[in-house]
This record gives sequence, structure tokens and C-alpha cells, in this order.
Amino acid sequence: MSVIFRLLLMAGAVFEFILVIRMIRKSAMSIADSIFWFGFAFLLLLLAAFPGIAFWASELLGIESPVNLVYLVIIALLIHRVFKLYVRLSEVNDKLTRLAQDLALRDHEEK
Amino acid sequence: MKTLIVIPAYNEALNIERVIRRLTETAGSIDYVIIDDGSSDQTADICRAEGFNYISHPVNLGLSAAVQTGFIYALKNGYDAVIQFDGDGQHRGEYIKEMEKRIEEGCDIVIGSRFVTEKKPLTGRMIGSRLIGAMIRLMTGRTIKDPTSGMRMYSKRLIRIFAENSRMTPEPDTVCHLMRLGAKVAEVQVVMDERIAGTSYLNLSKSIRYMLTVSISILFEPWIRADRKLAEKEESA
Repeated sequence: MSVIFRLLLMAGAVFEFILVIRMIRKSAMSIADSIFWFGFAFLLLLLAAFPGIAFWASELLGIESPVNLVYLVIIALLIHRVFKLYVRLSEVNDKLTRLAQDLALRDHEEK
Repeated sequence: MKTLIVIPAYNEALNIERVIRRLTETAGSIDYVIIDDGSSDQTADICRAEGFNYISHPVNLGLSAAVQTGFIYALKNGYDAVIQFDGDGQHRGEYIKEMEKRIEEGCDIVIGSRFVTEKKPLTGRMIGSRLIGAMIRLMTGRTIKDPTSGMRMYSKRLIRIFAENSRMTPEPDTVCHLMRLGAKVAEVQVVMDERIAGTSYLNLSKSIRYMLTVSISILFEPWIRADRKLAEKEESA
């Protein structure tokens, strides 16, 4: 893990942190939803600040380069997030359908 | 027996008036409801002007949701059977009486089938139909000759299930699922017409998507659709 790579990780984490704060202040994201992204930024910072963690873990898992471990962690977290997002999307879709149907049926009764 | 004809209609301004006129001529005085699924054309205006019984979705929700709205309406108004009827003029009202008779005899699903006595042609669409039929045979041991027919009548005990469960889409995989739960299915030979105007909803990529969805839903049914038998449901209701 080169110094440039670690600086890049930190910059990414700081950038993400600022973005999340801005979204919360604009009420574009709920605080409950922001937990993941705060945790994510913190993890990036941690991995960049203490490269020993990545070295130790990559050796443990038999991954040749510690950088690959960083990628692996990021990709795994993101895939999990996308999956959860799909579940949420299905839920929201079901609720939206129910609401629209209910509205349509009410309109019909009032006619 | 009180039967409700559910007619989902999305941008069917060119067809809807003729479809309803023909229906009331051939099917007599049966109740119907048009579900205008957030059409962007004049579908709702025509329904209002003609005094048709219609429900308008404020936004487009898709065919399944449109049919489900019909089921909710049927449940609220105490209907004994629901028949899905296309808004594009493919289905004919003259077969409704015969399908009703089968429901009265104790069937849960009656399919207006193009291939009870007629042979199935070898078009791309019908290869899909054969595949779905084979999968249903594999899972239920029974043969449905026209699984993709959109003209289906459902008995009273299924109305509640369709109204309350958004995973019960009006598609062949749901028919297969209900068969496994103990629903009795019959097919009645019908003739279907070409749609009056406009183009079909299915293109190549949508057809592939449809086949994949239906296949997964039928073949993985025991894992993804854990449910109680219909008879048990009725007891607890």
C-alpha cells in the first residue's frame, strides 16, 4: 500500500463524509440511512491510517497484496448495500402500489 | 352467481369503446370494471364520457397491479367470481357463461384456452407456451394446454388471495402455485381475436424477461412461495 494510495483513500473518505453531512442538512437523507455511510467513511480512514490492519488480514486470508484486501472489503460492502437497496425498492414499490390503488378506489367510490 | 369482469386498460383509447360495446352485446348484463392504469391518452376521458364503470390509477402501476385493483374492488363488493378480460379486444364475451358454469361446478380457475380442441401452432410465442406448460406438468403432474392465455376466471375463495397478496400476479406461475395449493383448474375452448388497434406489449427483451421470471417462479416455487393449502386458509379465515 503506497502512500499515494493511502492519501487517496483518506481523501475519498473525507469527501464522502462531507457529502453525507450535506445531504443530511438538506434533509435529502435520513440520519438512520446515513449510519452505513459514516461507518464506510470511517472504515476507509481506518484502513488508510493503519495499513497494518490490511497487512495482517491479507496474510490471514492468503491474499497476496493488502491493496486487494481493501478492494475486497469495499466491494463486499457495496454488493451487500445494493442487495439491501433492492429489498427496500421492492418494499417501497409495494407500498406505492397499495397507495395508488387505494386512492383510485376512493376516487371511484366518490363518483 | 355474481361475476365481475375486470378489464385492465393502458392507453387503449382506440379500443376501449368497441371492447365494452361488444362485451355488453355478447355477455349480457354482467358487471364489469375498467382499470385505467394511468393512461396518458384519452382512455379515462372516453370512459367518463360514455358512462362506463371505471377506476383510474393516478400513475401507471403495471398490468399485475391493475388486475389486483379489480380483485380488491370485487372483494369490497362481494363478487363470487372474477374474470380478467383484455382491454384490447382479443377476448370474446360469449364464453363467459360457459366459464361461469365451470366455477359453479367447483373449479377455482377456469382458463379461456385456445388449445383444448385446437392444435398449438409452432410460433416463437407458442414455444414459450410449451416450455411453461412442461414446467407446470413437472411441478404439478397436470397439463394446462394454454398456460399463457390472459383470459382466466377465478372463484370466490381466490379473490381474497389475489386482493391481499401482491406476489399473486395474474400469470401462469401463480396458476401453477395455486394448483400446488389445491386449486382445481379447468380449460374452456375459446377463440381469440387479433387486437383491434395498437401494438402488443411484448417485445423480444420483455419476452425473455417474462420467460425467466415465470421459469424461476415455477421451478423454485417450493422454496420461494411457502404457503398454506387453500383448504387450511379457508378454515382459518
